Amino acid sequence: MIDRLLDAAKYADALWRREERTAVAFESGRLKTAGVTEEAGVNLRVVAGGRVGVAGTTAAAPDLEELVARARASAELGERLDLAFPPQSPLPDVPTFFDRAADASLQQLIEMGRHLVERLAREGCQVNVAIEREVGETAVGNTAGARGGYAATGVSVTAGLIRIAADDVLMIYDEYLGADLPSGDDLEALVRSIEARLEPALTIVSPPEGALPVVFTPAGLAAIILPLEQALSGKTVLQGSSPLAERIGQQAFDARLSITDDPLARGGPASRPLDDEGVPSAPVTLVEHGVVRGFVYDLETAARAAARSTGHGRRGVFGKPQIRYTNLMVGGASGGVGAQHAAPLLGGGLISDMTDGLIVDDLIGVGQGNVIGGGFSHPVGLAYRVQRGEITGRVKDAAVAGNVYDLLKQIAGFGTDARWLGSRWSPSLRLDGVSVARR
Amino acid sequence: MKDRLAAALKASRADYTEIRLERTWSSAVTFRGRRLETATVSEDQGGFVRVLNHGCGWGIASFTSLDALAAMVARANELSRAVRLDKPIRLADTVPQVADAALDLDGDVRGISLAEKKRLIEAYNGAMLAVSDAVVDTQAIYRDEVSEVWYVNSEGTALAQLRPEVTVSGTAIARRNGTIEKGLESIGLRKGWHSVHGLEERFRVVARRAVDLLDAPRVQGGSYPVILDNELAGVFIHEAFGHLSEADFVYENPQAREMMTLGRRFGKPVLNVGDNGAASGLRGTLPFDDEGTPTQDTPLIKEGVLVGRLHSRETAATLGERPTGNARAISFRHPPIVRMTNTYIAPGPGGSFQDLIKDVKLGVYACGAFGGQTMLENFSFTAAWGHMIRDGHVAELVKDVVLAGNLFQTLDRIDHIARDFTWNQMGGGCGKGGQFPLPVTEGAPHVRIEAALVGGDV
Repeated sequence: MIDRLLDAAKYADALWRREERTAVAFESGRLKTAGVTEEAGVNLRVVAGGRVGVAGTTAAAPDLEELVARARASAELGERLDLAFPPQSPLPDVPTFFDRAADASLQQLIEMGRHLVERLAREGCQVNVAIEREVGETAVGNTAGARGGYAATGVSVTAGLIRIAADDVLMIYDEYLGADLPSGDDLEALVRSIEARLEPALTIVSPPEGALPVVFTPAGLAAIILPLEQALSGKTVLQGSSPLAERIGQQAFDARLSITDDPLARGGPASRPLDDEGVPSAPVTLVEHGVVRGFVYDLETAARAAARSTGHGRRGVFGKPQIRYTNLMVGGASGGVGAQHAAPLLGGGLISDMTDGLIVDDLIGVGQGNVIGGGFSHPVGLAYRVQRGEITGRVKDAAVAGNVYDLLKQIAGFGTDARWLGSRWSPSLRLDGVSVARR
Repeated sequence: MKDRLAAALKASRADYTEIRLERTWSSAVTFRGRRLETATVSEDQGGFVRVLNHGCGWGIASFTSLDALAAMVARANELSRAVRLDKPIRLADTVPQVADAALDLDGDVRGISLAEKKRLIEAYNGAMLAVSDAVVDTQAIYRDEVSEVWYVNSEGTALAQLRPEVTVSGTAIARRNGTIEKGLESIGLRKGWHSVHGLEERFRVVARRAVDLLDAPRVQGGSYPVILDNELAGVFIHEAFGHLSEADFVYENPQAREMMTLGRRFGKPVLNVGDNGAASGLRGTLPFDDEGTPTQDTPLIKEGVLVGRLHSRETAATLGERPTGNARAISFRHPPIVRMTNTYIAPGPGGSFQDLIKDVKLGVYACGAFGGQTMLENFSFTAAWGHMIRDGHVAELVKDVVLAGNLFQTLDRIDHIARDFTWNQMGGGCGKGGQFPLPVTEGAPHVRIEAALVGGDV
């Protein structure tokens, strides 16, 4: 279909994708739903009269001429852009399709869920487990002659406990996300990660106050990483709102901090040989030893910024490609070896010399407010107090605040607990001097 | 289409079968700064099947290839039979509905050219950019949609619905000497082309405010009497309370059920809260939900006491209550789950905004919403802007007004509710269980919280 579509469109690129998902959901420990999703669609981008237009459809047998006409109509209003499509080039070898995942039967997925429910069941807690397996096919092509495609598998396992005691609600969730089925060790790590956070949460203690050391777990790190993700996007740089735009080659962070986006991470949840615009995948160093090294680009942003696409275009069936990270590796650690996340020692081994402080695993309202500036101020969703090197319990009515760019200039410690969380790989980070307020 | 659906239903071997088919036409025009970013027209279509067998679980299938309908019904049946349950899933009884329910398209957006839509949003974008040189960046989005939705189930319900939607929204970014502020406007309506004209002034106002915020001080953090404006009060009741009233949160969880026992006092007698999917002409309004249940006005809190909750047929049967028409799905890609529609705080018995502030010596008037998140009993809301209240008067503009608190304490501290009720029809929508954005509306008058924690300079 891609070939016929491109023939009709003259100067264009296109993506075709088919996905089939199988999902099972356990609610309150009971398997209640099994479902399938089958979806296919094509996204076409044309350049006509020097202007860019786009159109998409989920129709099973789309009228290709109508689709091209729709893309051309979009181009009539579209922006003028000297958009060059990449020529055919060799693609890197990265495994994206795992037979074990593709061949797993519904019964196997159900058994996996049952096992997790049994391991997590405890008095007074509601256990929810959801498992989804995806098998997909992607084909990309353009009128410069590039063709590429791959089949991919993906598995997500989400497990969580909800414990309600009077008006206290405690929710602890964790997930496995990978291209292959989780191993027994992966599932065991998932269970132990939830247990490790549940036990100390059963005691509620009063929060501390002041400028204190705070360990952000790989999950809690979301608020710290989000401003960097925005600032390291070529789009933000082009728009003139990235605080890192002028800082290429400069030491902006602690010399131990490295951030890489790696679409070739073995078994990584977002690994693929090429992006959705036909650009071959390659790891991109964004921050190296604290020095800003680069930004991620898709074709259009790169064309406008006179830069090169780094192969970070992601497109759906509808709309234009957008910049999207793949596997974001934080801390310079390498991932994908053995269990997806190591047995988690809450605090990542960073609390033994802490007199008074917090471990933050979840914050409320991440993404609200003025993210790009690096400032954050959030009530805690799930956090623990540390006193004299020990976790003494969960704190509820506390808020943490600071500025990411100030705090990351000096990182007090990198945890030994690096793991995947979604498609981000990171350890815990300890940041000192985070403002902690009580309410 | 109806014949195809009837045939597929007839061929189903499951005890209960429902089928939803959708066809959606949509268009979008986006400006970023002076640059037009996209202008697209899209067509999306697909189907959703859900079946239930006695002693078994739900089997569901969603698909984009309508030719696969019969195969998908069979597939869903297999999946249902693979899920064995000791305690059967029951559905509360409803009266089968047969209707063609076309909402007023109010100027069918499908008949308007993309160029006209571009001109409209370009004018709103231009209105923001023209306010001041300090407005360095903008984003302006026009989006519309018309969906044809067919729904049938094996109990005799057969519905054809036509659902329009139109949204115009804008973000103005103001910058001076390293300080960056923003203003947001968003208008989302379950209407059509005629309803989104003449809105330039609203876009100017938010751009002006973004500029004014550059010079505004950050609010001094602390505990204050806080008056929420209509918009923020609406967002607050949706986020902080509304989600707890969705029965899928409690129906399988005895502790949650205890926490949300009907009859529990949640606030002072002045507080009345409800959800009304049948309210006329609002964005969250639909004649029927996605299980074919008619929508209705459901009281949730009456004179401070919890009196109701929002249901699907399954949650209603489990709790021995009645379905409320709140089972909704954002598209054929998803099953219906318990969702809000148009959620409101009812107007108070008397009093204006002035009456709410007249005896406040030092307080905060928190206005608009940049966002809000709840983790069940804890919440955080970021107001778009605020003013201090001094000696009963609205005083200087302040920024970074973040409200954080505990739901139960905060609801109980609502001590005055004004008469000046408005619905706030915003674009975007509500997210839950991976389904975003669901069109909803919130409505409220000005509301006073006697004491709330305001973050700012922490």
